[in-house]
Amino acid sequence: MNSPPNEWRRWLRANLTGSIVVRTTLSILALSLLLGFTFAAIVSAGVERHERQRAALHLRELLATVASTAQIACYLSDATLGAEIAHGLMSNRTVAGVRIQAGDVTLYQEGRVAEATGPDAAERVVSQAVYSPFGPPTPVGRISLYVADERVGEQAHDYSTNAALLLTAQALLVAAGVALAVFMFVTKPIRSVSIELHKTRLRSGERLRVPPRNEFDEIGQLVVDVNVLICDLNALLSSERDLRLKHEVNERKLRLIFDKAETGLFVVASDGTIQSSNPAFARLLGRPLATWSPSGVRLPDLLEGHRDSVMAMIRDSLASGRGADVDLELVLRESQPPIWVEMSLNPISANLLQGVIDDISERKRGEINALELATHDSLTGLLNRHGFQASLKAVFSRPAPDSLPPIALLQIDLDHFKAVNDTYGHEAGDQVLRHVARVLERALRQGDVIGRLGGDEFTAALLGISSPAKAEELARRIIADIRRPIDIGAGKAARIGASIGVALATPDDPDAESVLRRADEAMYAAKRAGRGQVCVGGLPPRGPLERRG
Amino acid sequence: MRALCAAVFYALLLLAAPVEAQSVVVIVNPASGVQSLTRYQAVDIFLGRYRKLPTGLAALPIDLSPSTPDRTRFYSLLVHKSPAEMSSYWARLVFSGQATPPFQAPDARTAVDLVATNPNAIAYVDPSAVDRRVKVVLELTP
Repeated sequence: MNSPPNEWRRWLRANLTGSIVVRTTLSILALSLLLGFTFAAIVSAGVERHERQRAALHLRELLATVASTAQIACYLSDATLGAEIAHGLMSNRTVAGVRIQAGDVTLYQEGRVAEATGPDAAERVVSQAVYSPFGPPTPVGRISLYVADERVGEQAHDYSTNAALLLTAQALLVAAGVALAVFMFVTKPIRSVSIELHKTRLRSGERLRVPPRNEFDEIGQLVVDVNVLICDLNALLSSERDLRLKHEVNERKLRLIFDKAETGLFVVASDGTIQSSNPAFARLLGRPLATWSPSGVRLPDLLEGHRDSVMAMIRDSLASGRGADVDLELVLRESQPPIWVEMSLNPISANLLQGVIDDISERKRGEINALELATHDSLTGLLNRHGFQASLKAVFSRPAPDSLPPIALLQIDLDHFKAVNDTYGHEAGDQVLRHVARVLERALRQGDVIGRLGGDEFTAALLGISSPAKAEELARRIIADIRRPIDIGAGKAARIGASIGVALATPDDPDAESVLRRADEAMYAAKRAGRGQVCVGGLPPRGPLERRG
Repeated sequence: MRALCAAVFYALLLLAAPVEAQSVVVIVNPASGVQSLTRYQAVDIFLGRYRKLPTGLAALPIDLSPSTPDRTRFYSLLVHKSPAEMSSYWARLVFSGQATPPFQAPDARTAVDLVATNPNAIAYVDPSAVDRRVKVVLELTP
């Protein structure tokens, strides 16, 4: 339902807002007409008065032309001459009436000679004294011309109409000129720039053309600026695209590293739940890869046996902001040997930690083997001197001396072992030594420490034995065992014996060396007593007195 | 030399005297009773405004022939008009038919005779033409 005024208004709005030319032209036209009519109104108000004044001036000039004849007419009171003058004057359309007076008498009058009243009376009647043509200027009469008001009004109207027509024509011409100028100098170049800008695709490297003749004006500047803007935008876009590509490559690289790494990588929250993890993580912890999903799984549950320590580690690391490392032994399946993993946690935010987990079972086994080599005698499997002394030291280095358990040390030295070596060779000797080791292991209890300290010399530490008699009895049983023939292969048997020195540790012993020394002394005493003997060593030396044997 | 200069000066003075004496007199018949006339009364009579003497008698102005120098001198002295201007003046009045130019006497002697024989007559002549039959009522001097 569109009423015509609405349609008209819409058309007007579309044209007013759609075209600079139309808008400018209409504005200029309206302004010109407004100014034109205002000026016309102002002028026409004054134009009648002006016309009247002009008419009066005109009549004054007319009077001047007939002055000399009028002088004569008045001088002689010649009515005929006066009528002649009046006729002549009346032929002028501006003259409504003429009155010629000679003295006080009206010589002649013609036309409308009503006396004018009002403020402009002086402009409605032009009256002039007439002087004698001869001699001194004696007034001899008066001539009055009456202005034709209708003629004046007519002229004023003509003048106003002409002025209005001229102003209107001027307004129209100016508006047309402005419209043309605006179209040529503003709209056309802007339109061409606009069309080009509309067609321009970013990244194509296109530039807008400066419209001809606008190179150095505002429009040219505008186009140059737009081009600069397009250029900047293109540079920005391409640099952003490069960045995005680089970012994608980096992300793919990282993703590849994350997925393909042998190291287990994961992110764990402060409550222990796994946020994300890579395949290696699942593989390392023995979880089936196909069904692995880290969501909802808690790290302590995966590290069976280290629940509390792992939670503590997470807490400490987040609290201190420092990373933490730990080696953990994990039993994944009952049937398989335990594995060792090295796990490090590094805080990456207020409640998240980046975790790295590596299988270090190989390294750990190597470490254990090395330790075994360092502390054990490879021939017999017993502790070597170094291992034995370390174990014994561990027992002795208890914080309080009173807590030292009763320990009896047996120093065992084989008799006739050199003969076995010489007779049957080193191979046989080694067999004998291994045999003795088994004998000692059989004779002693679990927890006792046995070592081969060198050559054919064995030492055993018996924990929990405080009675010398008991220790001596044990020693005799060992000697008896050793004395039995030892099968050294090829149907041969070796026979050896042993001398044992016994020493009991007391709270007075400052260290293990002290007890060992006494056991050693007791062993020598046993040797001296004729081999196959057990000799119990005395108490630790007190003061200068030294007891032997 | 000094004597010569003085002689020339006086000669010039003598030459100038007749020019200064070129006046015109207005004459009337003594019977008219007019004792004297003002310049303006003369103007009104000779230029046709009034045809009456101050005493009330009708005036009969007598003009001289336009060719005479006296006429030229008279109007020049009276109203400062040239003979051509005077002709123009009268031409306009002839057209209206109301005023008529004065009667013209061919010379001064005729004019004096007319005045001497007519109490209404009034004329102008060179002072040298005046005799006892007429009365000078106005002298116009340059």
